[in-house]
Amino acid sequence: MDLTLIFYVAAVGLMLIGSAGIVLSSHLLRIIFGIALLETGANLLLLLATYREGAAAPIWVNGKFPLAMADPVPQALVLTAIVISVGILAVTLSLALRVHRAYGTLDIRDIRQRMEQDIADAAGIDMPGSSEAPLPVYSSAESGS
Amino acid sequence: MSKVVLLIVLPLMTAFLLPVIHRVSPFAGRWMGPAVLLLTSVMGILLWSELGHGALAIEIGGFRPPLGITLYVDQLALLLALAVTVGTLLLWPGGGEDRLRQSTLALLLAGAGSGLALSGDLFNIYVFYELLAVVSYGLIASRGTAAVFAATTRYLIISSFGAALALAGIALVYQATGTLNLAQLAQLAPEKLNNIQGLAAFVLLLVGFGVKAELFPVNAWVAEVYATASGRVSALLAGIISKLALVIIVRLLILVFPQPEAHLVMLVLGILGVVSGELAAWRAQDLRRMLAFSSIGQLGVMFIAFSIPGPAGVFAGLAVALHHMIVKPALFLLAAQWGGSTARLAGAAKVSPLGAGLFVLLALSLIGVPPLPGFWAKLLVLVNLSEQAQPLYYLGAGIILAGAALEANYLFRIASRFYYAQPGQTPPTVHRGGDLATASLLGAGLLASVFVMTPLAAQLQSMALQASDTAHYIEVVNPEALP
Repeated sequence: MDLTLIFYVAAVGLMLIGSAGIVLSSHLLRIIFGIALLETGANLLLLLATYREGAAAPIWVNGKFPLAMADPVPQALVLTAIVISVGILAVTLSLALRVHRAYGTLDIRDIRQRMEQDIADAAGIDMPGSSEAPLPVYSSAESGS
Repeated sequence: MSKVVLLIVLPLMTAFLLPVIHRVSPFAGRWMGPAVLLLTSVMGILLWSELGHGALAIEIGGFRPPLGITLYVDQLALLLALAVTVGTLLLWPGGGEDRLRQSTLALLLAGAGSGLALSGDLFNIYVFYELLAVVSYGLIASRGTAAVFAATTRYLIISSFGAALALAGIALVYQATGTLNLAQLAQLAPEKLNNIQGLAAFVLLLVGFGVKAELFPVNAWVAEVYATASGRVSALLAGIISKLALVIIVRLLILVFPQPEAHLVMLVLGILGVVSGELAAWRAQDLRRMLAFSSIGQLGVMFIAFSIPGPAGVFAGLAVALHHMIVKPALFLLAAQWGGSTARLAGAAKVSPLGAGLFVLLALSLIGVPPLPGFWAKLLVLVNLSEQAQPLYYLGAGIILAGAALEANYLFRIASRFYYAQPGQTPPTVHRGGDLATASLLGAGLLASVFVMTPLAAQLQSMALQASDTAHYIEVVNPEALP
């Protein structure tokens, strides 16, 4: 099988796994890992945009250029994207920490439930759809940590 | 033209110097931010009068387009940059105890927003978009309650998801064309991006950048963020930043994605946005979430308008966007103190006649009652929709009308509460002076625009003509490119 094809499959696969993690997980940390995987997949896709097998960096060595040269632009772009995603990862983790301190849970459904309750309390209205929704489980908040 | 670069650089630089300045002199730290934004606003207005109906491109660092980054200034880009700068100045969030951090973030927001509006390079747009996203997380979370941290986290997850999709879209564009400069993309697009790969790239970019523009499938964050963030931050995000993201998408649509399917994708998502937003707003029981959902509906109207091909669509979309840019921040400012359940608002007109009157005026314009500007904007969209051949556009027109009926229902429901005081109920709180003054200013601007509607429309039309002229864009950025 063609090496480039394997890389493409890997990039799209990483993006799919990451998206599935974001959509299907309920634990905040797993969602954050999902985002990291998704970003890695997107970065790989960007690198592959002009990937050529066996190409070297376009640097002038010993008076001559390499025969096959790789396009340096996507590599510079990916470097920028990685830096951005690291920064955003740090922001996400610090926010997750604050949420855990406030609500004592990292389960995104519990967090949402508590947040909706807080908003409703502040506004002085009933919880939207509270008659249909299952009762919130706060046991992890009380027993854990 | 150093003024263009300064529009971006001055706020960014001041933001990073602000902690130092604040340590030396708290007074300077307090007033530096607004002063710099005032300066950049004046520079922007001077630039506007110099520019006239022309456009100019600036190569950063003197590097030619394939290697360097281009800034592109036409009337539309400059209007957006000005809107971000003036909007941040008017809705300056740097009050309270956390003044330093909020001032820094607000300046970063102005700088990143101007950069996003003026940038002529796809990856540069992505970088400024991410900067804007991080800054808005900080501004939202600065209120410091548990609910706002949870809302910001959920917003961040959706936004990061969108940004990664946008990056994948950029990869597809680069794979097909080998460049990310918008002018070069515009040249290559009819040949290389007019296929299924181009459409996939557009959908990825649309969903990615659509997170901030409150696009239909990726707008779950809107209600909870606007319900928990401070009034001024909600006003900024809903009023200015959402339109900025929308116009960036439209610019990409015009320049880079020529296929008719791209317009249809935007139309369908816009229709779904109007339906979901207006229905949710109609059901909402508290004022802030009602305004948040109604802004999803309004953004849906804009997506529908911009999906009309050619200058007519850009003209109609710009009219709705500009109108919303004035009305929505004012409404969010009024909701800052009246945010709770709508039942609590009974008798608000007695407490604050000016606030209640303003709310009614803004609501009437939002619904589209003549002769207020909102009516002309919606009329323009409907007329242009009715001229399209594709039957889906008629559905869009019908949905916009139905949405207006729903809007009238829920906004009048609130307005009528204002004027019927119930005995034995505590009246709502009075607005803070600054919020009410800014909202009055915006309301006065809205009223004044009624009298200059004809020249305003002519100006918007020339802006739309210029923005939808791809050959003009290519020629300005790269004069040798065209024969």
